[in-house]
Amino acid sequence: MHAEKVNHDFEPKIIAFVCTWCTYAGADLAGTSRMQYPANVRVVKFPCTGRIDPVFILRAFQKGADGVLVSGCHPGDCHYMAGNFHARRRFAAFRGLLDFVGVDLQRLQFSWVSAAEGGKWVEVVTDLTERVRQLGPMREFKELEQEECWSGALAAADLQEAYEAIP
Amino acid sequence: MTNTASSIEQSVLIAPAVYEAATATIRAEAARLLSEGSVAAVIGYVPGRRAGTAMPAVVTDAEAAQQLVFSPACVNNLTLFLTKAKKEVRKKGRLAIVAKGCDLKALAGLIGESQLKREEIVVIGVVCAGVYGAAADRRAPLSSASLARKCRECSVHVPEGVDLLAGTLPELPRLDPLEAAELARLEAMTPAERWAFWKEQFSRCVRCLACRQVCPFCYCEQCLCDRNRPQAVESTPRPAGNTAWHIVRAMHLAGRCAGCAECERVCPMDIPLNLLNRKMAKELKALYGHEAGLEPKEKGPLAEYREDDDQSFIK
Ligand code: SF4
Ligand code: SF4
Ligand code: SF4
Repeated sequence: MHAEKVNHDFEPKIIAFVCTWCTYAGADLAGTSRMQYPANVRVVKFPCTGRIDPVFILRAFQKGADGVLVSGCHPGDCHYMAGNFHARRRFAAFRGLLDFVGVDLQRLQFSWVSAAEGGKWVEVVTDLTERVRQLGPMREFKELEQEECWSGALAAADLQEAYEAIP
Repeated sequence: MTNTASSIEQSVLIAPAVYEAATATIRAEAARLLSEGSVAAVIGYVPGRRAGTAMPAVVTDAEAAQQLVFSPACVNNLTLFLTKAKKEVRKKGRLAIVAKGCDLKALAGLIGESQLKREEIVVIGVVCAGVYGAAADRRAPLSSASLARKCRECSVHVPEGVDLLAGTLPELPRLDPLEAAELARLEAMTPAERWAFWKEQFSRCVRCLACRQVCPFCYCEQCLCDRNRPQAVESTPRPAGNTAWHIVRAMHLAGRCAGCAECERVCPMDIPLNLLNRKMAKELKALYGHEAGLEPKEKGPLAEYREDDDQSFIK
């Protein structure tokens, strides 16, 4: 059951933040059923999607992720009753914010994958990996990481003037 | 891109008389409240040391109430003094507070977040025709050129639901909304252009955290951004940490921010923080119909949910 190994120019790094009760179990099922999916995904598990702070997503991008997946239980299946409902609102708002600062939302995927949906896990991971492969590496955050200090650019005319007036 | 309201139209003067009338009422009411003992202190403004400035003051006796003022220099949001960040003020006892309409929204937000109870405070609402922008020439009377940007599109000149109201509203000039225009300009950009815009803005941030210290909603006793074990947000003013800080800040204030624009006012680097706040307010209005108002709401939009919330972005 081994798929042909294909060499690509660019192997995207995908970080998946998953809840332990549904998606992690789903990914586990995919594994034990020997389903094939891209090895590009690194799974980090959490007690609940409600625990996944938007700052983790930022951190992932800063540390070199090219794509991020957040996945948890379907609505109504949350182990803690409403964690995923809260997460849903938070991530809806967070997407708006990321878009506003100029992050390509195609690199960020949210999904519901239950413990029985090994196949769906494979599909979501494959989709995201292929999409990010098409997009190429996520450069924005990596470039920021490498910039040591202030650009020195003064956007406002009055700031520039004040700066130049310093003897 | 500055805090200074640019003079696109002919500068129009804003009547100074209204501030004097408000000052007289504030003094009289503060003195009455203090002398009859219904409050232990009044949080208001007194003249600053330099001409054309004012500063917050906590006044505890009726005599000192005569120093209270309301003028275009009364820029601060005094609601900050009612938060956990200023415990020493709350300890004084029952408080009265002078509040402009935009500050009152923050007060309503704090009540909604159970930081204080409405019946614990006396609100002296003040009718406000506007305050100075950050770089205004304060020797000149207030005009549309020196007006704070937020005041150009103010919807709460006359605060509602207050215990006492000081001042009456004069006729105000019609001004073009600059912030809404700027927001629309950014929204029309491509993501790459927006990234370039914000990268340039954030790279100037010196991480003085003044924006956090002045915000009435940043009352957490330990800020996530100060933690270093584990460190979520780099604290050095490098572009990477700055970007993370601004995203976290906007996210933590989403659905809570009252839009008082204090964060933007105090920013020494002139970073247009209120654009981020406004964008988040707009998002949450579109998503969940939430708007910061003068009525306390029990739960903010990110503290509650509905089973049928939109999930079209989830696979
Ligand atoms: S926004 Fe409105 S209430 Fe607030 S300072 Fe400006 S004019 Fe006054
Ligand atoms: S006040 Fe301005 S410079 Fe200071 S931390 Fe906030 S955004 Fe940065
Ligand atoms: S984030 Fe800024 S505008 Fe919003 S409440 Fe805080 S200080 Fe006011």
